[in-house]
Amino acid sequence: MRNAYRAYAAKRLVQAVVVILLAYVLTFVVVSILPGDPITSVLRDPQNGFTEAEIQEIVAAQGLDKPIPVQLWTSLCHFLTGDLGLSMRSSRPVATLIAEVLPSTLVLASAGLAVALLLAAALGYGSQFLPKRFGQGFLRGFPALFLSVPNFVIGLVLIHLFGFQFGFFRVLDPDSVRATFFAAIALGIPVSAQIAEVLIANLDHESRQEYAAVARGRGLGPTRLFVRHLLKPSSLPVVTVIALTIGELLGGSLITETVFGRTGIGSLVQRSATSHDLPVLQAVVSLAAVVFVLVNLIADLVYPLLDPRVKLIGDHRPRPAGADESAADTSGAVTP
Amino acid sequence: MTERLSPPSLSRRHLLIATPAAATAALATTAGLRPARGAGSPNDGGDITFLIDSLGGTWIPNNSAISSFQGHIWGHVTDKLIYVDADGKISPWIAERWEQNDTATAFTLHLKQGVTFSDGTPLDAPAVVANLDIWYAGRRNEGINPIGLFPKTYDHAEAVDAATVKVFFKVPTLGFIPTLGYHGSILISPKTIARPAARQANLGKTSGSGPYLVDSWKEGDFVRLVRRKDYNWGPPAVGHTGPAFLDSITYKLVAEQSLRVSAVQSGQADIGYSPPPLELQSLKEAGFTVATPRYLGFVNGWAINTKLAPFDDVRVRQALQAAINRQEIIDTVYTPDWKLAESFIQSNVPGATDHRELLAYDPARAEKLLDAAGWTKGAGGIRWKDGKPLSLTLHANPYLATSKAVGELSAQQLGRIGWKVAIRAYDVVTFGEKVRFNSPTVPAYEVTRSFIDAGTVASILTDANNGEDWFGLGESDPKINELRDRIAGAGSARVRDPLLDELQKYVLEQGYFIPLTQIVQRIYVQNPKLKGEVYNGIAYASYYTATKSTA
Repeated sequence: MRNAYRAYAAKRLVQAVVVILLAYVLTFVVVSILPGDPITSVLRDPQNGFTEAEIQEIVAAQGLDKPIPVQLWTSLCHFLTGDLGLSMRSSRPVATLIAEVLPSTLVLASAGLAVALLLAAALGYGSQFLPKRFGQGFLRGFPALFLSVPNFVIGLVLIHLFGFQFGFFRVLDPDSVRATFFAAIALGIPVSAQIAEVLIANLDHESRQEYAAVARGRGLGPTRLFVRHLLKPSSLPVVTVIALTIGELLGGSLITETVFGRTGIGSLVQRSATSHDLPVLQAVVSLAAVVFVLVNLIADLVYPLLDPRVKLIGDHRPRPAGADESAADTSGAVTP
Repeated sequence: MTERLSPPSLSRRHLLIATPAAATAALATTAGLRPARGAGSPNDGGDITFLIDSLGGTWIPNNSAISSFQGHIWGHVTDKLIYVDADGKISPWIAERWEQNDTATAFTLHLKQGVTFSDGTPLDAPAVVANLDIWYAGRRNEGINPIGLFPKTYDHAEAVDAATVKVFFKVPTLGFIPTLGYHGSILISPKTIARPAARQANLGKTSGSGPYLVDSWKEGDFVRLVRRKDYNWGPPAVGHTGPAFLDSITYKLVAEQSLRVSAVQSGQADIGYSPPPLELQSLKEAGFTVATPRYLGFVNGWAINTKLAPFDDVRVRQALQAAINRQEIIDTVYTPDWKLAESFIQSNVPGATDHRELLAYDPARAEKLLDAAGWTKGAGGIRWKDGKPLSLTLHANPYLATSKAVGELSAQQLGRIGWKVAIRAYDVVTFGEKVRFNSPTVPAYEVTRSFIDAGTVASILTDANNGEDWFGLGESDPKINELRDRIAGAGSARVRDPLLDELQKYVLEQGYFIPLTQIVQRIYVQNPKLKGEVYNGIAYASYYTATKSTA
């Protein structure tokens, strides 16, 4: 068992490295195909008045006229030695730029995830125990509603309502606790929808099981039944979904940050993407790949702890025995 | 993930445009209608927040000084040798006086003494020489660009003594002194200049001699400036030379246009940059200060590529000149704060002359010219010649927010006389790659460029001396060549002014340049409690002299 785990972990690690390198190369190719780069676009600012010949001369002086494969090789060598290089846009070290904005995104993403989990748990609880006449059916429609309202719309409504109208937070101070709270709501709502969908489906399944009937027969109240008996078996596929929503959180934080004016990874990506700042984009995409791969790896490793029935079978992939097959199949980005 | 990048800003804008009605109602009761107090004695202290749409890319001084955004910060952190006011009048600043030889090839600058950079280095003659050298040449292999409009005729400079600099040029360069007041010509500590590019890019470590210091900053987020207490060398022209009054200025990036305006309306910020022109009237009525300073430079208009048919025909260009209704552009897209173009350079530039009669709206004349040129009206009212429609592709200039709207209106005006107009809009990066002066796919390049000295026009007319050749003329127009050489070689404004007048008349008559309106690229909406700011020749606001009442 332990050896199987090690082999499994090693294989996943190699796959992870391949994914990250591929992400790096792909970003390079995609961005290189696009016309323009931050250096020439600064030179082409009409205020500058440089002629085309002067621009070419300056570009050549910085080695930007070299063939793309040569540039890719140079940058890949630097990347492999841990040197992320300098931003073409700002001329500052990419590592510094990321370190500057990472904390803000981590705070927002974790707060968003917390909001999403709380909301999902509340929806799950309500879907089981809210009396029908108080709108249980209506509540069950919430995940679909949450999923179909883009988070920037939620963000804008929150800003106008709570920022400008009620003055609960200062729009110009987006890193304050209050502003972060509202940003986390905007980010957490759509994310909660996916978690709630899966949670509700599983709660429905579990509450029909005999053990649930027995527990109810023993006179257990709804909260105890929910927390002590239903939640744990229902949360196994939810772990997979949470791991997948990390992508949603990263992507969503990009938009939420822009809407709320926070300076995080999202705004860094946005600035770099609009100016085609290759080194920064490569670093951020690789970072996102690392996060995504790691989180999914952790999710897979957490399975056996939640469900002792999960066994590592021949192909070293964890499979929750008896659990929904489709949930297991979407268990991570590294499924070959 | 990339698919989700673009929609938010669009939809957000729509939503934000829809919501201000409610917001305005709430705001009217707070900041908006509070009457401004009469100015008493300037009160020291106070902090202001300036909301800006971008904070640019790099902070390497040479590469960012001319930025429409970063120029605001540099204007407070650094000084210049010369001050140029909104009317193009030049006056002493760090250079207390100057002399030039008869041929305008050698200049002597006498510097103010006792001036220091914030790192303690004296701002003396060697420091000025170091700045002149890097403005001219940059350090290209390091990624430090030369200053775009610094005279390319520069030869060298030498420090005669601690307070005297002699500057030499290869040919007459009358524009040198005014250029010292241009936004690119900011004085930076030689210690900063000596650093490699990656370290120059750290704004927090850059030292200027200006009235404010960088207190803290975060890329893509904000720059906070605090007052330098021992500052004592402001430009006499602004009426104050001691330390600034306001304690701090925070430039905060808020990319969304309507959010910047709402924040000023709700009192959360003091200045909003680039509000929508059509909102200015209602902002004014609500009691906010609105400023639409014009910079010195070219007017907003099209440089026509004469290499491309049908614009190789002077009659077609003249028809274009007569078919644009400039007053309608101001009435529809702008407000009365915008002024009619009188020439192809802004009317506040010394040397600009009034040629409005050449820019009159005369559709009948335009039709007559096109008829004479063989363009006859066909189906759908479009004119044809030799099986080709009379077409024009405009490329909206992303550096001017109203460019697309102006293009659309011009397209309607031209459509009435049989022109088929297409408009393309690109982002800044793609625009820079695809849209250039006299490129084979660009019949009309929309100009937005400031300059300090009217002599600059000599460098855009042809391709001689590394010129930009805006009209694709090369050396083909002898009259332009002659005017170019005589303007570039003029040793005094007295000689040059009549030549400039002749040039303006000729360029407009020939339809080389089609002016649209005088350009206002920098628009400000401001809390009425903030007063006393000054706009310089490049339309940047300086809060060095500003005060904010607490009442």
